[in-house]
Amino acid sequence: MNRFSKWRGHPWLALAVRVYLAGVFLFACVHKIANPSEFAMDIATYDILPLVLINPMAICLPWVELGAGILLLIGYRSKGAALAIAGMMFMFLVAIILALSKDIEMSCGCFASQAMESDPIGTWTVFRDSSWLLMAVYVIILDRHPMGIETWMNARRS
Amino acid sequence: MHHRHARSTRGIGHALCDAMIMTAICSALGLAVNAWIHPHPLKLIADKPYETMVPCPVPGGKATALPCTDQRLYAKDSFIIDARDKASFDAWNVKGSMNVPFDYLDPTPPEMIEQVARKAASSHARRVVVYGDGQDPDTGEQLAKEISGKGIKNVFFVVGGAEAIRSKVDGGKP
Repeated sequence: MNRFSKWRGHPWLALAVRVYLAGVFLFACVHKIANPSEFAMDIATYDILPLVLINPMAICLPWVELGAGILLLIGYRSKGAALAIAGMMFMFLVAIILALSKDIEMSCGCFASQAMESDPIGTWTVFRDSSWLLMAVYVIILDRHPMGIETWMNARRS
Repeated sequence: MHHRHARSTRGIGHALCDAMIMTAICSALGLAVNAWIHPHPLKLIADKPYETMVPCPVPGGKATALPCTDQRLYAKDSFIIDARDKASFDAWNVKGSMNVPFDYLDPTPPEMIEQVARKAASSHARRVVVYGDGQDPDTGEQLAKEISGKGIKNVFFVVGGAEAIRSKVDGGKP
């Protein structure tokens, strides 16, 4: 474990993971920002949040995805962004598992308000979101010298 | 060891602080854009519950499955109905078929059913054969059950829908 954590390839691997996660979240937020009412309907379909929280969630969450995506991409406060993404992924996973336990047949709503047939929630969605959660945790724990704007700014300062 | 643990805890603390600040800034930005810039803003608090469960009409009649190889499909005394949407019907259809697009959310208008009954009677057809998109559920089967439920006898639906017939009739060519 100690040898693994000391591996010199982590910054490069973490860079690839960060860029991938950033791409996923930047892609995911576009449709939600453009169509908040459709995203609100998706959230409502999960049947978890009370009515008063559905619209604030539909308005704010895509912007947090956008912010986290941009920060991960440029490498500024990337651990904070990865932590936010891990939090969101955990929340999405709980929502999907609860919906599955209630036998709700619905679209994931992760990227766009697709028809149920094209992006249904299921084991695959749980696996996919779990892998993204693990990637975010990897960035938080093992990306100790993140490549990006922050490293460049620190180098200039010193 | 203690130093390393303290440094790691401090790192997580900083990350948590950054995440909270970013979440607050982004949420404020989202609320501002929604309030002042967005062309289709969303009310901050929904005034009525979202209708997430749309009831679908359940067709109640009986319809018999008919394989696309069954000669009754091509018989002159069969009245053929295409349950697909108009665009699909215009692109390809069985010669002499009538288009009655099936909608999962809206029941077929009674006047359309009457028209089907009238045409079937005037063509001296002995059976009504419906074909749809061949998906699961199949629009053809749903429409056949709906028509049958409205009192029309001898209603069949083609297993596999238009695609199955098409591959049988012209080998899938347009």
